[in-house]
Amino acid sequence: MSLNMDKLMYKLKEQIIERLHLKDLKPENIGDDQPLFVEGIGLDSIDALELIVLLQQEYNIKLSNAEDGPRVFHSVRTIADYITANSGALKVTT
Amino acid sequence: MKVYIRSAGNISPQHSLDTDSFFLSRTTTSNNYFKSVEPDYDSFIDSKMIRRMSRIVKMGVTAAITCLKEAHVEIPAAIVTATAYGCLEDSSSFLRRMIEFDEKLLSPTAFIQSTHNTVGAQIALMLKCHNYNNTIVHRGLSFENALTESILLLKEGTRPVLVGAMDEITDDSQAILSRFGLYRKTDNRMGNIAGEGAAFFLLEKDQGKKSLAILKGLHILYKPESNKAIQHSLLEFLKEKETTLDQIGLILTSHTGNKKMDEQDKELMNSVFRNKVTFPFKSLCGDYPTASGFALWMGSVILKEQMAPFWMEHGPQFPLSNILIHHHSGNSHHSFILISES
Repeated sequence: MSLNMDKLMYKLKEQIIERLHLKDLKPENIGDDQPLFVEGIGLDSIDALELIVLLQQEYNIKLSNAEDGPRVFHSVRTIADYITANSGALKVTT
Repeated sequence: MKVYIRSAGNISPQHSLDTDSFFLSRTTTSNNYFKSVEPDYDSFIDSKMIRRMSRIVKMGVTAAITCLKEAHVEIPAAIVTATAYGCLEDSSSFLRRMIEFDEKLLSPTAFIQSTHNTVGAQIALMLKCHNYNNTIVHRGLSFENALTESILLLKEGTRPVLVGAMDEITDDSQAILSRFGLYRKTDNRMGNIAGEGAAFFLLEKDQGKKSLAILKGLHILYKPESNKAIQHSLLEFLKEKETTLDQIGLILTSHTGNKKMDEQDKELMNSVFRNKVTFPFKSLCGDYPTASGFALWMGSVILKEQMAPFWMEHGPQFPLSNILIHHHSGNSHHSFILISES
């Protein structure tokens, strides 16, 4: 696994915690492959909307097909994969 | 039909979530506003739900839960909430982001939570209550109209009804409303001290094992032509409720200490309220459109406990049978609420 991917996933975890006010969680508590919705972290439909806005604001990536949502937002890794696949020259700053 | 106040829950600038603390100590403010004494909400609200809640939502939900717990009721047949200003913190947040992000890519949470019915909705979500749910927004008579609707629901057989009122102060609201002259500004001593709070009540048609008080009557008066009209309206209301002024042991008034706003109160004090035991309830909760919720809570617990708070000077005589609440907001929206010992 590339260092860039690790950094991106860590950054995503920080952004998810901040954006969704998950004050009881730290990035270390969210597994890379842990499901984000329902049985995993327990996110819901409003959180899904927040994640869509997060992708647009922070990564300038628009989820073109709403049906891709469940697959893209399954876990931190799937979001990171989507970002990597849909951004030209991604730079992760920490 | 008698309407019983079975239980209540109240978060206010006083220590009102615990009745004993309210009777023992009084909170004052040296600021131009009176903010609520807030509990640790984590012990009342599920952590997954609390993360999105702004202050007013947490205050409202916690007051409602406390009220229901006290009456050992899990699911009310109806939830009726009242607010004049709604969820100001979320509204400000949403509007600020609109400007910040040039009306694009707005965060949905603040928008969803900014609607006036958020508190009622969050209570229903928490309780998984799919019953009747309505929010009344009617400026200084929001709570009174919510009470009216609750009484009508009880008459129709919907019971018990959870009814409550809430409004909050934010930095933005304080800045704007004091600029309008509604509340006191930093640089002068004129204007009312702004307040906030959330008060909930469980209403029933029968007394059950215990209840706080009987909601004997409610009368609303909008823009009375004169002080005489207020007096006439009050006397007619009391006549209808077969109660005389002599039978009322305590009157909770909207007197604020602001000369400009207190003219009507002063005239009432010199006429129909002369020689009566009165207490200005807004000195405890500040001024806000749904402050009558605080007054109803205060009157109800005094009737239930049959004692005055220790800090109250020149309190009423006991046993105390009836309390009258005169609430007005900006001298235009008036209400009389009559409660009696249950």
